Amino acid sequence: MRFGYHGCALRVDVSSGRADRLPLSDSLLRACLGGSGLGTRLLLDAGAAEADPLSAESTLVFAFSPLVGSPLTTSAKFAVVSKSPLTGRINDSLASSGFAVAGKGVGCDALLITGQAPELSVIVIDAAGVEDGAAPIVRLESAAEFRGATCRDTEEGLRARLGATFRIASIGPAGERLVRYATISHDGRHAGRGGSGAVLGAKRIKAVAVRGKRRAEWARPDELTALSRDLSKRSFGPATAKYRELGTATNMLVFNRFGSLPTRNFQQGTFEGAESLSPETLSATRAKTRESCVACTIGCEHIYTVGKLGVRVEYESLFALGSLCGVSDADAVLRASQRCDALGIDTISTGGTIAFAMECVERGWLDAPWLTFGSGEALLRAIELIGAREGLGDLLAEGSRRAAGRIGHDSLAIAPQVKGLEIPGYEPRALQTMALGFAVGARGADHNRSGAYEVDFSDKVDRRHVTLDAVRHAIDTEDKAALMDSLILCKFLRGVFEDFYGESAVMLGAVTGWDVTGDELRETARRIVGAKREFNLRAGWTPAEDTLPERFLKTPLPNDPEASLSRERLDALVAEYHRQRGW
Amino acid sequence: MHVEFFGVPRDRAGVSELEVHAETLGQLLGMLAARMPSLSEIIERDRLHPAFVANLNGDRFVTDPGTPLGADDCVLILSADAGG
Repeated sequence: MRFGYHGCALRVDVSSGRADRLPLSDSLLRACLGGSGLGTRLLLDAGAAEADPLSAESTLVFAFSPLVGSPLTTSAKFAVVSKSPLTGRINDSLASSGFAVAGKGVGCDALLITGQAPELSVIVIDAAGVEDGAAPIVRLESAAEFRGATCRDTEEGLRARLGATFRIASIGPAGERLVRYATISHDGRHAGRGGSGAVLGAKRIKAVAVRGKRRAEWARPDELTALSRDLSKRSFGPATAKYRELGTATNMLVFNRFGSLPTRNFQQGTFEGAESLSPETLSATRAKTRESCVACTIGCEHIYTVGKLGVRVEYESLFALGSLCGVSDADAVLRASQRCDALGIDTISTGGTIAFAMECVERGWLDAPWLTFGSGEALLRAIELIGAREGLGDLLAEGSRRAAGRIGHDSLAIAPQVKGLEIPGYEPRALQTMALGFAVGARGADHNRSGAYEVDFSDKVDRRHVTLDAVRHAIDTEDKAALMDSLILCKFLRGVFEDFYGESAVMLGAVTGWDVTGDELRETARRIVGAKREFNLRAGWTPAEDTLPERFLKTPLPNDPEASLSRERLDALVAEYHRQRGW
Repeated sequence: MHVEFFGVPRDRAGVSELEVHAETLGQLLGMLAARMPSLSEIIERDRLHPAFVANLNGDRFVTDPGTPLGADDCVLILSADAGG
């Protein structure tokens, strides 16, 4: 008997509407677990690295995991994995909540979507009423009435049509218009980075609706229940207090104090308006509620009221739409974040691309005099144009790297991206272990696949003068992230583990019955990182991509001359990273 | 010396900054714990709980309770988990 898994993937060809089940062997599942690891493996097997991500030949995977559906806190997560239309490299984005549980509940460990539907459609996958062991019912329905609808309206409309027990993942208008950093949204949360929403949009799929009923069996239910209780108890402790009480937005003042808050397209590391965007100020003047994903005891989501609706406030959105664009008007920044959610676009890439365009305007390289740093009105206007792909928005919808290619001059040097993915809210010159993490990231500049900033915020390195010793620490955070994204557990839990690999092995063993050890999981994590590299190699990756834009390697941070990173030092760090990886 | 609190430590302390005198990091933390019982979750005797860190002057992170402190130093106390 198999535990923790169903042992198959469901492949849906939306060109024909046909679905079939692909068996997944125990050895394959044990080698790549689930989530990012399983998704990457399935893409490699499908030949997706060589395909145009916006073509009918591309494949997009919703990958679940062995822990989904278990009582382990934060395990209700899923990964969306595809080739990125923004970077042309692997893209794995994670989101949370009921879609993960219901998706696995249709009786598969992953959904593969291929082909291109003849019209805008919703994939309906329904296991209710199906006999145990039989395939779920799969059909395509027209989504014409949802053309141009926001993610929220699409979800609400589809649940009204199909039934409240369905769980929906959908794209917004930006995904339909192939904005290269469009998201896939579920219940207000987004698989945000890298443009998976555009991949779905190119397939003319507005949404995927799932209704599950099958729970994978657990090998040792009593042990799993005890482990779950213990993990939940620890999740209420000091290691998660930051997320629970203030949310990630609390980074704003910390990063500003350390001169590492990206400001005005990375021209500065401090922002005079940081205080107005801090949760301390926001919560003093606005109504706020807290929410949690399904099966989560942390409750990191801090929802602020803007107009008649709420908006989830995260540091990355505040930095990208705030300090990076020089906007200190909190109302404008919150509204901008709200509009990104509604349109279905990644806030980091949106803010990064707009900030880049603002600097191009400032330098006289782009003729859009209205688009100035500090203008909340301009920020909101630019977001609407991107969502509609109108005027300047059509250029900005391509992301900063492609936009730089069309703007010319020396603009690529100031495009805030790695491999085409816009840089998150960590100033690389002030946080140089993170600079390495950004440079070598398989999906580009990425704070979710490398937690190297944690090394910079510790006594392990001197963050502004890192040496080759930092490399092993950066690798360690990347490996841990790969495992968390494949088990799957939320990274906000990472501080509660004393022996992350060992404890993960115990949990996985209780779910699957495998006699798995921490050392095995350490190897599995490395294998998953290696699989992403294999995907990128097949997609055309070269070592020259593992770098940062010229700005960071030629200009010290103006507010902190010690924060200087030369090309020679970064190249040495990258070379040592490749050496330690055995690449 | 100057002490600055960020995030959860600020919330527990109820202030964003204060002035104190201490010879070492351990002495400083012990003094803060005695003066502010609301920091009991954050300070364990003369050390910070592993979920929190101290930084000296925005430059280096310090953990050794014996770390000497000067009158002009600024100690920042924040969550260890810097991510988001």
